[in-house]
Amino acid sequence: MSLALTSIFFLDLANLVPPVFVSTFLSLQAGPSLIHALSLSGIAIAGLAVVLTATFLGGRLYCSHVCPLGTLQDIFIWSAKRNFKHRKYPYVKPHYALHYGITLVVIIGALCGSFFLLNLVEPFSSFGRILSNLVRPLIILLNNAAALLLTKEQIFFLYEIPLKGLSVSVVAVTLIFLGGLFWLSYFHGRYFCNTFCPVGGVLSFFSRFSIFRITIDHEHCIDCGLCERVCRARCIDSAKREIDFAACVGCFDCLSSCPTVGMRYSFGRAKTPVRTPHDEGRRGILAAASSGILWAMTMKQPAPSSEPTYEQTRKKPVVAPGARTVERFTSRCTACHLCVSTCPTHVLQPSFFEFGLVGVMQPRMDYSVSYCNFDCTLCGRVCPTGAIQPVLQEEKKILQIGKTHFVKEDCIVETKKTDCGACSEHCPTKAVRMVPYGKLTIPEVDNQYCIGCGACEHACPATPRKAIFVQSNAVHGIAKKREEQKLTPPVVSPQDFPF
Amino acid sequence: MDRRSFIFRAAGATVLAGTSSAFGHLKLFGEKMLESPPTDAFDLVAIKGGEPDVMFAKGIEALGGMKMFVKRGQKVVVKPNIGWDVSPARGGDTNPKLIAEITKQCVSAGAKEVIVFDNTCDNWQRAYRNSGIGPAVTDAGGKIAPGNTEGYFHDVSVTGAKNLAKAKVHELILESDVFINVPILKSHDSAKLTMSMKNLMGTVWDRRAWHANDLHQCIADFAAYRKPDLNILDAYYVMKRNGPRGISEEDVVTMKSQLISTDMVAIDVAGAKLFGMDPSEIRYIQLAAEQKVGRANLDQLNIKRISL
Repeated sequence: MSLALTSIFFLDLANLVPPVFVSTFLSLQAGPSLIHALSLSGIAIAGLAVVLTATFLGGRLYCSHVCPLGTLQDIFIWSAKRNFKHRKYPYVKPHYALHYGITLVVIIGALCGSFFLLNLVEPFSSFGRILSNLVRPLIILLNNAAALLLTKEQIFFLYEIPLKGLSVSVVAVTLIFLGGLFWLSYFHGRYFCNTFCPVGGVLSFFSRFSIFRITIDHEHCIDCGLCERVCRARCIDSAKREIDFAACVGCFDCLSSCPTVGMRYSFGRAKTPVRTPHDEGRRGILAAASSGILWAMTMKQPAPSSEPTYEQTRKKPVVAPGARTVERFTSRCTACHLCVSTCPTHVLQPSFFEFGLVGVMQPRMDYSVSYCNFDCTLCGRVCPTGAIQPVLQEEKKILQIGKTHFVKEDCIVETKKTDCGACSEHCPTKAVRMVPYGKLTIPEVDNQYCIGCGACEHACPATPRKAIFVQSNAVHGIAKKREEQKLTPPVVSPQDFPF
Repeated sequence: MDRRSFIFRAAGATVLAGTSSAFGHLKLFGEKMLESPPTDAFDLVAIKGGEPDVMFAKGIEALGGMKMFVKRGQKVVVKPNIGWDVSPARGGDTNPKLIAEITKQCVSAGAKEVIVFDNTCDNWQRAYRNSGIGPAVTDAGGKIAPGNTEGYFHDVSVTGAKNLAKAKVHELILESDVFINVPILKSHDSAKLTMSMKNLMGTVWDRRAWHANDLHQCIADFAAYRKPDLNILDAYYVMKRNGPRGISEEDVVTMKSQLISTDMVAIDVAGAKLFGMDPSEIRYIQLAAEQKVGRANLDQLNIKRISL
């Protein structure tokens, strides 16, 4: 259910799903909502409260019923069991210390401002990247093939969708992740969830205090071992009749597999207490935490020693309207690429190292692909972490995400001595205007009106270098609106024609 | 169908369309001689003072009705300006009422299909929807087609061109029997004014190449490639400054006018005068007139003027 709906959000090529539905449903995604809650988003706090309450009540139900990456792994596990009749994931002692250690490192890294690790393992975002970078292009290709066939019959129900801006490196990283996830789940069950997943780590910790939990009833257990055989989290030690409930992902397969009434999901603590990591792993966790802090400190980018060069300014990535500041954005975005999938003009594209190590794969405005639609506010309305905040249409129209830089020496008017004006044509605020230049006209930029949408840069026909381009605003500003007098029609009699 | 067979088919369709319209014209001219006034004699019809659909109905009637241009069973492509994601009152896109009326008239003249498209500047779905043209066409019995990806465009060579020897043209232009060009009159940062000839830029794929190789010459070159069978210049809401996109409705003057002609040069000259600009200031008009795309001297034309 969660997997299906989430997939629809990412593969909704025609933007049919209302954004409010997307954001409401995705507020249940704990990773993004935790970050979103930092900006005091009501809906995220509510979603997070639901998830935590559920975990307190009944354990990591989230991992099997809400997390789309969990369901994806279940599909791999199911296929493994289908292909190998006797494929099972026998009990292994959970390595809580390692899991909690990794979770702590990831969280500390994120708190210190580097989302590098978080973005690699956060489950919702990882799932989003699989859909956005691998599945969506395939769907687009299928759609385009179908559109081509239908168009020949003059049916325009489907239309070609440009497959623009796919980043080879991001696709490669996503493929490697998917391959690794497949291998882990195929051979080791929910290994990822109990080792790398930070959401799993946090919920695992909370599930230690759950009210309802799965236990083995020693009176009714016949030691058949079926529960251990079906368990995908490898947390049932049927020989000892013990369950490591903090590693349980709440799929309940064991309950339905039990031939007697030996498995219980009921109120009360287990008869044998859940092993806590404190004895064996406290030192490990402390070591992990301190190394995490150290690592995060080294990841923090050093302050630029001198003024950035011209090329550096040009290359600084522009972030979407609603991100407020580049720094705020990079410390909020988990790179789920939902905005990339949603953006109707495709100007939002995944970066790779453009934000530095702190923001690997976070989306940026790529004006070589397209430009930001003046009236569109979709990205902020779907963003599940609040990295891009929702903005009203009228606010968006004056939100300055960058400023325009014009290089006369590269301009067609200068190099070819002909009229061009493509930049000014596309400018929605007329920050770029054509002014007399001999017998021709040449662009003139007035940045107080510029919002950094990139229409001018995208339209500029100059090669190999664009003569006009947007420079990123580290802190988004407010542009002035050009106020001009209403034009009055000339007074002419209705019979008059000027020819 | 592979690309080669498509091109053959497209070329065949174009030749057929050319000949059929030529013969159709002759036959019609004969019919016309029998009927009362030789309406075909008007080179240009100018209408003012009405709603866009009403003005068109009156104007096309003066030219003998839509049946003069659209025959039973023909495939019609209508090319408005849908460049921008703006509302009709912004004057950035052709008026949807006008496109609806044209579509209806084509359908009742017996057109097999009426298909409307533009290669937009802004996101095409938003532009089709918010210009009002998308819903208007569907309601009027036509179809809207996309022009957003290169796959719909095919290489052609432009004979007699000075700068634009090659272009990639939308297959609907190549395939259709009748081509109706429906620009809107507005100010334009690159071309000074956009009217019928400039509107053809929305039928090709690579506009940057035009901008990079003397825009005015390219407009004039392409005007000779496939002349529309009918041009209707919408001057109901006229964007007087900050074109072609405009900033707000403050840029727009309600002129409630319309021009209809088969001659792109004539209609653009008249359009410039209507706008209040000297046509000789617009280089592509001069170039097109020199390249014999049409006639620039309005004094020598038979103009029908209608005030509503």
